[in-house]
Amino acid sequence: MNSAPSATTVTTALEMSNVRKVYTMGDGSDVVALDHATLTLGSDEMVALVGPSGSGKTTLCSIAGGILSATEGRIVVGDEDISGHSAKELTKFRQDKVGFVFQSVNLVPFLNARENLLVVDELGRRTGAPAKARADQLLEELGLADRAKNLPSQLSGGQRQRVAIGRALMNDPALVLFDEPTSALDTKLGEQVMELIRNEMKSRGTAAIVVTHDERITHYCDRSVHIIDGRLEA
Amino acid sequence: MFLAFKEMARAKVRFALLIAAIALLVFLILFQQSLQNGLITGFIGAIREQSAPVLVYSVDGQRVVQGSAITPEMEAQVRTAPGVREVGPIGQGTFTGKPSGNADGETFDTTIIGYELGPDGNGIGAPTTVVEGRLPNADNEAVVSDADVQLGYGIGDSVTLLPGAKSITIVGVAQDAQLNVSPTLFVSYETYLDAIKSVNPDAGTPLPNVLGVVPADGYTAEQTVTSINDQSLDLDALTKDDAAAQTPGVSQVQQSFNIIFLLYGLVVPCVTGLFFLIVTFQKANSLTLLRAIGAPAGRLVSSLLIQVIVIVGAGLLIGTLLYYPVSQQSLGGITLRFETSAVVFWSVLLLSLGVLSSLVAARRVLSIDPIEATTGQGVGS
Ligand SMILES: Nc1ncnc2c1ncn2[C@@H]1O[C@H](COP(=O)(O)OP(=O)(O)O)[C@@H](O)[C@H]1O
Ligand SMILES: [Mg+2]
Repeated sequence: MNSAPSATTVTTALEMSNVRKVYTMGDGSDVVALDHATLTLGSDEMVALVGPSGSGKTTLCSIAGGILSATEGRIVVGDEDISGHSAKELTKFRQDKVGFVFQSVNLVPFLNARENLLVVDELGRRTGAPAKARADQLLEELGLADRAKNLPSQLSGGQRQRVAIGRALMNDPALVLFDEPTSALDTKLGEQVMELIRNEMKSRGTAAIVVTHDERITHYCDRSVHIIDGRLEA
Repeated sequence: MFLAFKEMARAKVRFALLIAAIALLVFLILFQQSLQNGLITGFIGAIREQSAPVLVYSVDGQRVVQGSAITPEMEAQVRTAPGVREVGPIGQGTFTGKPSGNADGETFDTTIIGYELGPDGNGIGAPTTVVEGRLPNADNEAVVSDADVQLGYGIGDSVTLLPGAKSITIVGVAQDAQLNVSPTLFVSYETYLDAIKSVNPDAGTPLPNVLGVVPADGYTAEQTVTSINDQSLDLDALTKDDAAAQTPGVSQVQQSFNIIFLLYGLVVPCVTGLFFLIVTFQKANSLTLLRAIGAPAGRLVSSLLIQVIVIVGAGLLIGTLLYYPVSQQSLGGITLRFETSAVVFWSVLLLSLGVLSSLVAARRVLSIDPIEATTGQGVGS
C-alpha cells in the first residue's frame, strides 16, 4: 500500500482499464452504462469528457472518484488501486484523494462559504489551523475573500460554483472531477469559471476530468475524450 | 461537532422551539411528580412518620385508621402473639380546630392522633422526625405537621376545639406528618379521649382505632405482622409502609399519575424523534453531498446524536430551572418539594428515549447512498 514516493514516482493521476458498469434493471434486463472503458490521465493532465446525455459521463466520473463501484475492470487513482475497495475504504479514498464538483448540489446551505471549505477538514482527522489557512487562501484565489461569511443563498450562481471548486481542492486531491461545471451558467460566466478551473489546475499541477456536452469549452482542456453509449473514443 | 453546532446556530428558532417544547414537558412532569408526592404525603404521611413499625387494624376497618376499632379481646390477642414486644393504642378523630396563630380567626378540619406518650413523649406512635420544638410530654400538648404551621399552627399557639373549649398547645413541629390532607396534631392518648368528650359529652370512651406494635428482638416487622395475623381473622396487621401504601385511595392516586407520566414519557420521544426525522429529510441533499465527498456515515450519525443530546439536555435544564421555584411552594395545603430523584430519573429516561427515538432518523442517514449526489436533479427535494 505505502510505496515510498521516492522509489516510484507517480506519473499518472488515473488509470482505468477495461472498466465496465452494468445496471441490472428490475425486469432482469441489463443496461451497460460503461463498456470496456480505458483511460489514462497524466498527473497534471486536464481532460474534457464530451458526450451526449445518457452516454455514461457521470458514471465514468463516479467510478473514477470512488462513489460507484465498477462491475469489472481496474481503476488506479494516483498510487491507489481502488478496484477492490470496500465501501469504507472508498469513503476514506474520497476524503483524501479526489475532489468533486457535482452537477447539482454542491454546497451545504447552513454553512457559509468558508465553512463549506472547512467542512472537508472535519470529515477525517482534523488539522485545524492549516485547513483554515488553506481555505482562506483558496477563497482569495477564487476571488471570494469578501464572500467568506456569506451563506450559499446569498451568493450568485457563479460564486457558488467557485465555492464548490474551492471545496473540491481543499483536500489537495490527486484528481478533480467536474461534472458539467458550466451547464447552469450563461456562456460568459461559464467561460470565466473554465478559465478559473484551468488556472487552479495548472498552478497546482493537478489532474482533472471536465465533463461537458458543450464543445466550445473543450479548448480549456489539454485534450478531449468522446463517449457515446458507454464507449470511449479518443 | 462542527456540523452539529453550525446547523443549530443557523437554525436557532427551529431548535429553540424544540428546546422550549421539551422544557415545558419536563416542567409539567416534574411539577406533577411533586404534586403526586405532596398529595400522598399529605394523605398518609402521618402513618409513615410515626414510630410504630407495625400497625394493627380491625379487618372491618378496611385499612382506614378512623374506621378501625380494636376491642379488648383483639388487643389481648395481639399482646399474646409471638414476636410482639410492646403494644400501644392509637386513636384518631377529626375536629373543628381554631388555631390561635391564625390572624383571621379561621377554623380548620383538624386531625388529632392520640398515642401513649411514655416517659419522654417518645411512646409507640410518636412522630419520628421533629424538626422544631419538642415532643409532647404532658397532656394538652401537641406536635403539629410542618405543612400546617403557615395556617397558624405555630409553636406556642393553642388550638381550640369547637364546639367546646378544649385547648391544646403546640410544642413541636414534625416533618411530613399530615393525615387526610388536613392540619394534624399528635397528642397524648388521654388528650385525644378528652377531645372527644369535649365536643360530645355524651359519648362513651371510644375504643382505640389501631394498635402500634414494636416487634420483639429477633423479629422483623414482617414476621411480627404474620404472627399477629395468624392470631385471628379479625386482625389486620401491616408494616407501617404497607399501611400507608394500602390506605384506600393511595394506589388510585398513584395509578392516575402513572398514566399521566406514561403519556409524557411517550410524548417527549415522539416529539424529538419526529423533529429530527423531519430535519434529516429536509437536509437529505446536504447529507448525500457530505457522504459523497468522504464523510463517514458514522460521523453524520454522531452529529445527529450530539444534537439530540444537546437539545434534550437543554430542555431538561430549562424545565428543571422552571420547576425549582414552583417546587418551593405549597398548593392548597399540599407541600411541594424539589424531587431530586425525580429530576435524575426523568433526565436519564428522557435522554435515553430521545436518543432511541432519533435512531429512526439515524437509520435514514445510514441508508444514504452517496451516488445520489451525482444525479442531476438532486435527491430529497
Ligand atoms: N442507477 C441507475 N440504474 C440504472 N441505470 C442507470 C443508473 N444510473 C445511470 N444509469 C444509466 O446509465 C447510462 C449512463 O448514465 P450517466 O452516466 O448518468 O450519463 P450522462 O452523465 O452521460 O448523462 C444511462 O443510460 C442511464 O440511464
Ligand atoms: Mg451526467
